[in-house]
Amino acid sequence: MENQKSYPYYIEKPLEYRRVEGFLAAFEEVLKNSNYRSILDLYSRISMHCSRCATECQIYQSTGRPEDVPCYRSAILIRIYKRHFTPLGRLKGRLFGSLSATEADIDQMLESFYHCTACGRCTMYCPMGIDHRLLTRLGRFILSKIGIVPKALAVSVREQLEGETGNTSAVPLKGLKTTIEFLEEEILEIKGVEVRFPVDFEGAEYVFFPPVSDFLMEADTLMGIACVLHEAGVSWTIASGNYDAINYGLFYSDEVLEKVLQKMAQEVRRIKGKKILIGECGHASRSAKVFLPSFNESEEIPVVNILELTAQLIKDGKIEIDENAITEKVTYHDPCNISRSGWIVDQPRDIIKNFIKDFVEMTPSGRYNLCCGGGGGTVSINELKPYRMNTGGKRKAEQLKATGADVVIAPCANCKKQIGELIAHYKLPMRHVGLHDLLFTAIKMKKQVVSNE
Amino acid sequence: MASINLHGNSYEVDEDGFLQEPDKWTEDVAKAMAEMEGITDLNETHWKVMNYLRDYFKQNGIAPMVRKLTKDTGVNLKEMYELFPQGPANSACKWAGLPKPTGCV
Repeated sequence: MENQKSYPYYIEKPLEYRRVEGFLAAFEEVLKNSNYRSILDLYSRISMHCSRCATECQIYQSTGRPEDVPCYRSAILIRIYKRHFTPLGRLKGRLFGSLSATEADIDQMLESFYHCTACGRCTMYCPMGIDHRLLTRLGRFILSKIGIVPKALAVSVREQLEGETGNTSAVPLKGLKTTIEFLEEEILEIKGVEVRFPVDFEGAEYVFFPPVSDFLMEADTLMGIACVLHEAGVSWTIASGNYDAINYGLFYSDEVLEKVLQKMAQEVRRIKGKKILIGECGHASRSAKVFLPSFNESEEIPVVNILELTAQLIKDGKIEIDENAITEKVTYHDPCNISRSGWIVDQPRDIIKNFIKDFVEMTPSGRYNLCCGGGGGTVSINELKPYRMNTGGKRKAEQLKATGADVVIAPCANCKKQIGELIAHYKLPMRHVGLHDLLFTAIKMKKQVVSNE
Repeated sequence: MASINLHGNSYEVDEDGFLQEPDKWTEDVAKAMAEMEGITDLNETHWKVMNYLRDYFKQNGIAPMVRKLTKDTGVNLKEMYELFPQGPANSACKWAGLPKPTGCV
């Protein structure tokens, strides 16, 4: 019975036997090497049963399964922690022999923690302030230590940390350079101006890290960003040793999270850059902004998201935009990882009001916006596509449809993919773009001199 | 590991049907993969796109940007989906024997 476990996603080498023992050993190791204990102790003392989050979780709202209520899911992990890692729990366990972790718990967690899209919306409503998104990551982290991690994430991370190309989409430097040449030719053809994507320009103020998948999928986003930076005379560069901001560690492993950030900081030091500039990508921005200071205490490398920078450049009058270039009705999707904390909510709207006249907000929006339905790494897991379309994505599709917009801006590689698939799946009469895609259309280019050279 | 059988030869493919040993690719493999997605007749344009992808990959070690693919082959995205039901990455690249795209693609 134990031989053939079925998993909701592909796994390379799952531990098939003694999973409970393995899980507990991994849990112990994590507790030893982290600060999670203080959080778990706190959460152990407060109620996990009010279910206020159930009214707001778009996954539970779609499936109606109790297992998908955030506090129900978190309570499994907290129960195991209490039973096995606190003195009182151990004593109670011995006396009454109950509540121990079981195979069924493992099965439930490996499914439930990947049903959660780690959007963090439940925490906005939790009267106890429980960070379920953090517990989702912790649960996935421990599971990954016994080999239970979606193959799609593990393979990408291996290529990024150990592979020849050093990035999640396996784009070699040669391929990157060909792509950059192509983009420069396109800009020249469309905008009539020579704009460069500088590579290894030493001492640049900003070292640019897009999600590397943009070099395959998002030509317009990249061209828009290059035009904005060129036009404003910003000193920036791509680094040839690392041009990928993606950090799946945020979704399942603190160890991966740290390694990817260290690698990024090392590359910035190599080319003597001053700041990290992250492209249109939610999770990459949040992982660098929030966690780089934790893992890189010795020096401070500021992390800036491209939307912040562009908003500032516009405010400073550094770029000129054709107010009439965009005539369609446009809405804006707030990527959870940059909006939930309130970090990037106003900046994109400040940009939008300069050149988009027919703008409509989603309901809800900003910090309270609904997830695209593909967050937490699930968008990269092909076999979860039916799930993404029919649960969290279903709510998002309804929300998109209700705006009546022709165009939805989703400034995040993750959200772009999910929303593109939703539009096709639900046949929504709209298209999705990045914010810089529209800026690429609307920006007025004047300077003919190439910056940085 | 799954495999497809063709004229007595066995080809290893991953869970999503991507060829694991790219050197073993032949036109017959492409035809067999297309058939599995319901396309029984590969026309000139199919081959043009697949040959372009194979050449580009050989030179650059990665697939081209979608925008470059459509521009250089003259096949727009809508036509691309008509030719390759699951799109440029999941059908065209797969039939052409390119590795499965990873990351946020």
